[in-house]
Amino acid sequence: MPDTLFKPRMNADIKRRSYYSKFIFNSHFLIFLTIAGGVFLYSLLGLLQTLESSIWLDMIAALLMSMLLLPGYRSLLKPADGIFLLPYETRMDAYFKDAGRYSLMLGISKVITGAVVALLILTVGHDTFVISLFLLLSLLHYIANFHINKRAINTQISRIGMTPVLFIVNILSLMLVLQHPAWLVLSLILLFAMGKYVKRREHRYLDWNAYIEHEEVQLNRYYRNVSMFTNVSHLEKQFKRRKYLDPLLWKPKGASFNKEKMYEFLFYRTFARDHDLPMIILRLIILFGIIMVWMGNIYLSVVIGLFGIYVIVLQMSQIYSAQAYLLWPKVWPVDRTFIQRSYVTYSHKSVFVISLIFGIIFAAIHPALFYIAVVFPVWGYLTNRIFSRTVYKKEQELSD
Amino acid sequence: MVLQIEHLTGGYSKTPVIHDVSLNINKGEIVGLIGLNGAGKSTTIKHILGLLRPHSGEIRVDGITIGENAEDYRRHLAYIPETPVLYEELTLKEHIQMTAMAYGIGEETALERAGDLLKIFRLDTKINMFPTHFSKGMKQKVMLVCAFLARPDLYIIDEPFLGLDPLGIDSLIDLMVEERNGGRSILMSTHILATAEKYCDRFAIIDNGKMVAEGSLDALRDEFNMHGASLDEVYLKITGGGIDNA
Repeated sequence: MPDTLFKPRMNADIKRRSYYSKFIFNSHFLIFLTIAGGVFLYSLLGLLQTLESSIWLDMIAALLMSMLLLPGYRSLLKPADGIFLLPYETRMDAYFKDAGRYSLMLGISKVITGAVVALLILTVGHDTFVISLFLLLSLLHYIANFHINKRAINTQISRIGMTPVLFIVNILSLMLVLQHPAWLVLSLILLFAMGKYVKRREHRYLDWNAYIEHEEVQLNRYYRNVSMFTNVSHLEKQFKRRKYLDPLLWKPKGASFNKEKMYEFLFYRTFARDHDLPMIILRLIILFGIIMVWMGNIYLSVVIGLFGIYVIVLQMSQIYSAQAYLLWPKVWPVDRTFIQRSYVTYSHKSVFVISLIFGIIFAAIHPALFYIAVVFPVWGYLTNRIFSRTVYKKEQELSD
Repeated sequence: MVLQIEHLTGGYSKTPVIHDVSLNINKGEIVGLIGLNGAGKSTTIKHILGLLRPHSGEIRVDGITIGENAEDYRRHLAYIPETPVLYEELTLKEHIQMTAMAYGIGEETALERAGDLLKIFRLDTKINMFPTHFSKGMKQKVMLVCAFLARPDLYIIDEPFLGLDPLGIDSLIDLMVEERNGGRSILMSTHILATAEKYCDRFAIIDNGKMVAEGSLDALRDEFNMHGASLDEVYLKITGGGIDNA
C-alpha cells in the first residue's frame, strides 16, 4: 500500500499549489514582477560594470546562495498515518524516496534564480573555473543539507539549532572556495562530518509524530506564505498574548460599549495578537521602503509604494474572513452588518496609518515633490474599499 | 411559552435529518433532549439557533420567528455548544466584554455578574489569560460563564456535563436550578440520564429524527407502562436499546 500512496498525495499537493498560484500570480502581480525584475536586472548589470573585484561581492554572492541552500522536507504524511501506516513502517522506503525527490524539486526554482544572480555578481573578478566550482559546491550543499535536514527530523537534535549551523557551514564553504579552490576539501569534510553526526543520532525506528508534526509545520508555513496574497481557509491561526500591547488596544467606554463597537474591539485584538500578521506587515513596509529608496526614480517609487499598500490591504482582509465565518457572529443577537461596518472603520484607520508611512518614505526620498505623497492614503482608501466589498460579497454568497 | 417548535422538518442538505418534530418549553422549565448518537438532537438545536433553515415547520422563541426579527429572536437565547468555541486572540475578560456588548449589558454589570460566576467555577484568578490555553473542562466553564451572564429567557446547552469535573457539574446544576427558579428555561441535550432524571422537569426523546415521546418522567412511565422504572430503562425501551439504530 505505501508504494502507491505517495503519488496521489503528490498530485493533490501539486493541485493545491496550482490553485493558489492562480491567485498569487494574478495579472497585477505579474506586471509588478516584470517591472521589478527588469529594473533589478538593469540596475544590477549597470552597477556591476562600475564595480571592481572585492571580498564584499564574494560575501554577497555566498550569503545569497547560503540562504537558498536550505531545502525543506515535505513528507506529505497525515496525522492518521501515525496509526494506520505503523504496520508498514519497514516498507516505507519507496514512499520516502519519492517524498525526497519531490521535496528537492519544490525548492530548486529558488536555487536556480539565486544562482543566476550569484553568477552575475561573480563575473566581477572570478574566472569560469571558480564560478563553476562555486555552483557545483552550491548544488552539493543543497543535496547534502536536504539529507541532513531530513534525517535530523528523526533525532533529538533541535531544529532551531540545526538551521543556523547549516547556514554557517554553507556560507563558510562558499566564501572559502571563492578565495582558493583548495578549500573545497574543507567543505567536503564539513558536510561529511555533519552527515555522520546526524546519522549517529538517528532513532532506530521512525518517529512518526516528529515527521507528521514537521509536515504540519511545513504545510502551515506554505499557507502562511500564500496568505500574504490571498485568503487561505486552511490556515491554522496562531496568536501571541503580547501583554505589553494591552494599554494600546482601544476599548469602547460608556455609551459606546455596545454591539456596534464590539467587532472593532475584536479586530484590533485580532491584528495585534496575530502570531504573524503584524510582523509580515512590518517586513512588507521595510521591504517596499528599501526598494523605493534603492530605485530612486520618482515614478518607480510611486508604483512600488502603491503596490506595497495593495499587498498590505490584501493581508488585512484575512482578519475579516477569519471572524465572519465563526460560530458566535451567527448566534449572538447582533446584526451581521456590524461586522462589516466595524471592519471598515478598523481597516480604514489601519490602512491610513500604513499609507502615511509610505507617504513619509516617499517625501523623504523626494522632498521637493512631497505633495505627491498624498496619492498613498488615497490609494490605500480606495483599494481597501474595493477589497472590503469583495470580501463581503464572498461572505454573503457563502452564508447563503 | 418560551420555545415553540411546530412540525419541524430539516437537516443539513435537501435530505431531512429530523422529521415533523414538535416541542414546547414553558417559562421556568428544564427540558432534557435525549437521543442516541445521530438521533437528531444537534440538528434540532442548530435549527433553534437559526444555523440551519427548516425545510418545513416553524420555530418561535418568545413568540417571534427568526425571520421576523433575527436580533430580537437571538437576544432571548444563549447557547453553550458541546465543544467549547472560543476566540483564540481574546482573554477571558475580553470574552466577557464581547458577550456583554452582544447582549446589550453594561460593562460594570457584566463584570459584576461574571465575578460571581468566575468564583463559582474557580476561574477568577485567570481573567487576563487566553482561555484557549485552558483545559477542555475550563474552556467549557468559560462558555458557561459567558452564557449565564447574559441571563436570557432560554438556555440551549449541548451536553452540559461533558468535560466538567464533579465540582463543576455540581455548580452547573445549582446554577441551572437557580435560573429555573428565576423564571428562565433550559433545553439541554444529554446522555447523562441519571443526572437529567433528577433535574429535568420534562424530557423530549428523539429517535431516528422523530420525536418518539415527550413528557415528565411520571408521564413517560405511565405511557409505556413502566411504573417505578428509571429514565435509563424508559429510554432504552422507547429507543429499542439502540438495536435498530446500530
